[in-house]
Amino acid sequence: MSNHPLIQVKNIDLHFGSFHALKNVSVDFHAGELVGLVGDNGAGKTTLIRVLCGIHTPSAGEVYFDGQRVTQFHPSLAINQGIETIQQSVGLCDNLSIARNFYLGREPVKRIMGIPFLDFKTMRKTSTEVIREFGLRDNVSTDDEVGRLSGGERQSVKIGRAVEFKNRVVIMDEPTNHLSVREREHVNELAVQLKQQGLLVIYITHDIFQVHKLADRIVIMENGEKVEDAKTSEMTADALEEVIRQGGRQVEKRAA
Amino acid sequence: MSPTSFKRLFARHGEIGILAIAVVAIAFFSLSSGGRWANSFNVGTILQVTATLGLMSLGVALVMGTGEIDISVGSTLGMGALAYLWLSIRIDPVLAALAATVVGAAIGWFNGYLVTVTKTPSLIITLGTLMIFRGIAIALTDGFSFSMPYEQRDSVTYTILGGGDLLGFSTAIVWLVLGVAVLSVVLYATPFGNRLLAVGGSSDSAHSRGVHVGKTKITAFIVCGALAAFAGALEAGKLGFADGSMGRQMELQAIASCVLGGCLLSGGRVSLIGTILGTFLLSSIQSYLVVMAVKPQWFILLLGLIVVFASYGDQRFRTWAAKV
Repeated sequence: MSNHPLIQVKNIDLHFGSFHALKNVSVDFHAGELVGLVGDNGAGKTTLIRVLCGIHTPSAGEVYFDGQRVTQFHPSLAINQGIETIQQSVGLCDNLSIARNFYLGREPVKRIMGIPFLDFKTMRKTSTEVIREFGLRDNVSTDDEVGRLSGGERQSVKIGRAVEFKNRVVIMDEPTNHLSVREREHVNELAVQLKQQGLLVIYITHDIFQVHKLADRIVIMENGEKVEDAKTSEMTADALEEVIRQGGRQVEKRAA
Repeated sequence: MSPTSFKRLFARHGEIGILAIAVVAIAFFSLSSGGRWANSFNVGTILQVTATLGLMSLGVALVMGTGEIDISVGSTLGMGALAYLWLSIRIDPVLAALAATVVGAAIGWFNGYLVTVTKTPSLIITLGTLMIFRGIAIALTDGFSFSMPYEQRDSVTYTILGGGDLLGFSTAIVWLVLGVAVLSVVLYATPFGNRLLAVGGSSDSAHSRGVHVGKTKITAFIVCGALAAFAGALEAGKLGFADGSMGRQMELQAIASCVLGGCLLSGGRVSLIGTILGTFLLSSIQSYLVVMAVKPQWFILLLGLIVVFASYGDQRFRTWAAKV
């Protein structure tokens, strides 16, 4: 683990109109670390990672990537910096084929007279190889529209895509949703493998017990605030669960 | 062909529906009009209308593909026609056509910019610009029309720019074929096309993959405006004059063509070939009513009925085809 954090979030706030979604959140994330981001629905987990992957711009506060202050937020910038995200509710366009979704935003091209044409051969070949590895049945072709896929198959496409393009950071928002027991284990093993390859892995889930087994550190959020940040070696899953259960009250106490 | 494989085919190629309707319509029009409809002169007229309306509809189809709509194209066509006529007697006609196209592109940019910056529905924004540019067109012509002298209309340049014929058909048709070919390649075989369809399918998902949603939409609006204005220049080249009402209500026919052709109003699915078939069908119906001496006001009524039934039928057919 390197000394300076790969991603440093410093006192960020985020407002959606009158709704205060993130309240003075500060977290450090290091390369080669698997961090579990846990909390109830509406706690601000997804909002926080949507700042990290460039979808939302914080209203106040600072974000540093690899020591550099981030001044502009857009998913294309985050992706160029090597941040891959498995989003929960977005990320796939139902009207496009698997191969087209796989490469959306960074399509491989063949130039003919300087004009970029989609390289369909590469798109099909690579995406087929990757999605087979992530459990897509043989009768599903990468030419099929994503809208025809089941929840688990859609998830496989997103995970396969993130792993194929992974670079420095992989953020997983509820990655095991819609997956069978065996697929779930596969994803969890994968998260650990990515971390061992030196990547930063941020794993969002409701299930503290599941992520406690995998993670080096757990960050708990509640009502848009960070309420706990502890190493898994120092706090048991039960103790952390108690924090989540008490989370709301702790926040009230601190505000008082 | 088994029903399942037919469903698959239809699910992938939404044009089949409009193609079937067009074939039936052609057969009906030819047989029931006693040669008044199916002759080379009349077909030439239909193709002339198809060409200008078609070029405009292609742009509307692209904007529709992003999940937006541009109903200002009728006025944009009028502005393109006026710009072309005003300039063609002053500068080289090629430059004049180019300038007219730029005027259209600017109107398109204006639409796209307003839609993406104000985040107001494009239906409202372009309803406003439809009236704004119609107003400007009427003010510019001030009740008269712009025209070009007869002696100017004979040159090769004018012929190429819609003012003459190639093999008996207006050269505007060549521009339409060119437009369909180029835009089809752009839409289905380039990264830009992939992103355009992604924006229409789910702008949030496209955004999360790093696609610049606003820029993509603005580009579609620019292409749409440019095509409408260029169609206006071609039409003006054919007629030799234009007044402030040129292109009025054509926006409605363009939208109808797109919907008939299998473009989804909510975005994400575009059929350029289908759109042209839709345009051809509308021009054919219009011409049929003319040769059968039906009063022209029935056209707009019929157009409305066709759009309502066709979009309903299309939706039902699609739901059926999706159940494999």
